[in-house]
Amino acid sequence: MSRLLSKDFLSGVMFIAFGLAALYFGRNLQMGTTVRMGPGYVPHMLAYIMMSLGGILAVVALVTSSSERTEAPKWRPITMVTIGIVCFAALFERAGLLPALAVLILIASLGGQEFKLVEVLGNMVVLAAICVVVFKVGLGMNISIIAGVW
Amino acid sequence: MNLLDNLLLGLTVAFSFQNLMYAFVGCMVGTLIGVLPGIGPVATIAMLLPITFHLPPTAALIMLAGIYYGAAYGGSTTSILVNLPGEASSVVTCLDGYQMARNGRAGAALSISAVGSFFAGTIGTIIIVIFAEPLTRMAQKFGPADYCSLMALGLVAAVVLASGSVLKAIAMVFLGLLFGLVGTDVNTGAQRFTFDIPELSDGIDFAPIAMGLFGIAEIVVNLERHLSRSGTIKVGSLWPTRDEARRAWPAIVRGTALGSILGVLPGGGPTLGAFSAYTLEKKISKTPEIFGKGAVEGVASPEAANNAASQTSFIPMLTLGIPSNAVMALMVGAMIIQGIQPGPEVMTKKPDLFWGMIASMWIGNLMLVVINLPMIGMWVKLLTVPYRFLAPAILLFCCIGAYSLQNSTFHVYQVAAFGVLGYIFSRLGCEGAPFLLGLVLGPQMEEYFRRAMLLSRGDPMVFIQRPISLGLLIATAILLVLMALPSIKKARQEAFQEEG
Repeated sequence: MSRLLSKDFLSGVMFIAFGLAALYFGRNLQMGTTVRMGPGYVPHMLAYIMMSLGGILAVVALVTSSSERTEAPKWRPITMVTIGIVCFAALFERAGLLPALAVLILIASLGGQEFKLVEVLGNMVVLAAICVVVFKVGLGMNISIIAGVW
Repeated sequence: MNLLDNLLLGLTVAFSFQNLMYAFVGCMVGTLIGVLPGIGPVATIAMLLPITFHLPPTAALIMLAGIYYGAAYGGSTTSILVNLPGEASSVVTCLDGYQMARNGRAGAALSISAVGSFFAGTIGTIIIVIFAEPLTRMAQKFGPADYCSLMALGLVAAVVLASGSVLKAIAMVFLGLLFGLVGTDVNTGAQRFTFDIPELSDGIDFAPIAMGLFGIAEIVVNLERHLSRSGTIKVGSLWPTRDEARRAWPAIVRGTALGSILGVLPGGGPTLGAFSAYTLEKKISKTPEIFGKGAVEGVASPEAANNAASQTSFIPMLTLGIPSNAVMALMVGAMIIQGIQPGPEVMTKKPDLFWGMIASMWIGNLMLVVINLPMIGMWVKLLTVPYRFLAPAILLFCCIGAYSLQNSTFHVYQVAAFGVLGYIFSRLGCEGAPFLLGLVLGPQMEEYFRRAMLLSRGDPMVFIQRPISLGLLIATAILLVLMALPSIKKARQEAFQEEG
């Protein structure tokens, strides 16, 4: 069981999965001939080579058990950071920089180990000021600070 | 064209007010991130790529180059003062630098490392000037098949010299090459892997990928590890004693020589240079027992080596268009964003950019010494900013930077997606750098491959019939075989263990 969770085995599986995905989504691309290669020739070639490498990795990991076990992921940082960025993207054009920024910093700070509301609020104020000065005033980027207001 | 004319042209470009400003900004930002642990030059350059979009090409590259060597410089400052390497390339500086600081010689260690870096930077720049033209002339004789083989050699060598499992790293190169193919096929106009998303028809943008893989993933990993800081230390007199200076000089010269050579190799660069220089010093020293207890040579030589290597690693990128490490891959990305195809044509078609950038490297190195030694106190204060303030700030700048690429939130979502992918990579021990190299070289490599096959009427023998291509392929094969030999495999593992 531990061999199935080793880093090498899982990365082998990942490479094979990416290869299969490339073959599946590239199935309609024409292969062409070796003289005039179609758009599908090189992707297919790369996918097959990558899948063979992934296969070797996985098999070696299963047979030799030399590879380290994958550490269990800590879900909180990666989840919070990802949610934070997605919320930022969703809010940025609709609501403007300030709301998006506040939400991103709040959620991202929840991903850390220490969370003090006062500090997070202070961080928001400082970063908001820097962003407005640098991006809006300084670089003159065409972004709205609060949608419909500024 | 002779060397002096070129240098003169370069200096004129580099000394324009605007370019001096950008060199200065680059050096400052570089030092800043070098001082702050938890964010490296790759992530920073990725973050700033969108901003360079709005700058003239020369200024953009000058600034990015400044970040690169500024980071090496800042990293050594914190290594010496608080035993915290800001960058991988300054890990070895900790060994003796911090001990020197504890012996009350922090100031001397800092000034030796600064002067050593400057000396190495100067020599590195001279080497670039001397080798750039002949290498470029050679590269202009390359046909499509030769280029394809050269890229194969570059990719394999980069993988071999980088740490970790070779097999995994090569698979990562292929994955990167595949991602590089997303978009419209140049020859037929067919849409490949675009999933009918119009934003993808020009290919996946390079900057969001680099930000996600390096910036976001790095932040997440740091948040998990909970970075802690130790106390500060007094700097003391900056002047080394006569004895220290006498021991430092030869070490600086040796470090410079070794770093310059290792920097040119694909996959080489500052980290490899610094580690090898430290090992060399320890081997040839008459008093190896003082290493680790504050040996001057143990600071001087690796510091010189990492700076020399930072400089000379520009050579393959500037002359052949082949990036040798992740930072150089980002520089290639920056050039492509600016509409410049890196390769031998850059020097002939844009001499002002080429020589201006090289001259500015030397100026940047000078700036680092002059500006930073008096400012050490300020950098040390910055160390006290806790990571829980930094992480959201870095995230925010990544998001805004990604948006500003094309004023589209699609790129911000891309950053999130590649952040997750980068996290998976790091969990599985797959390195991002080979992926990035594959991604940058993918489209070109396919282009050359298809053109070579078209010219040879579909005969793959073309790759071994052309002497240049054959030589490059043989070199690639030798490298791969060497890696498979058990004795080398073992030595390599040991070397990387020492690093970790």
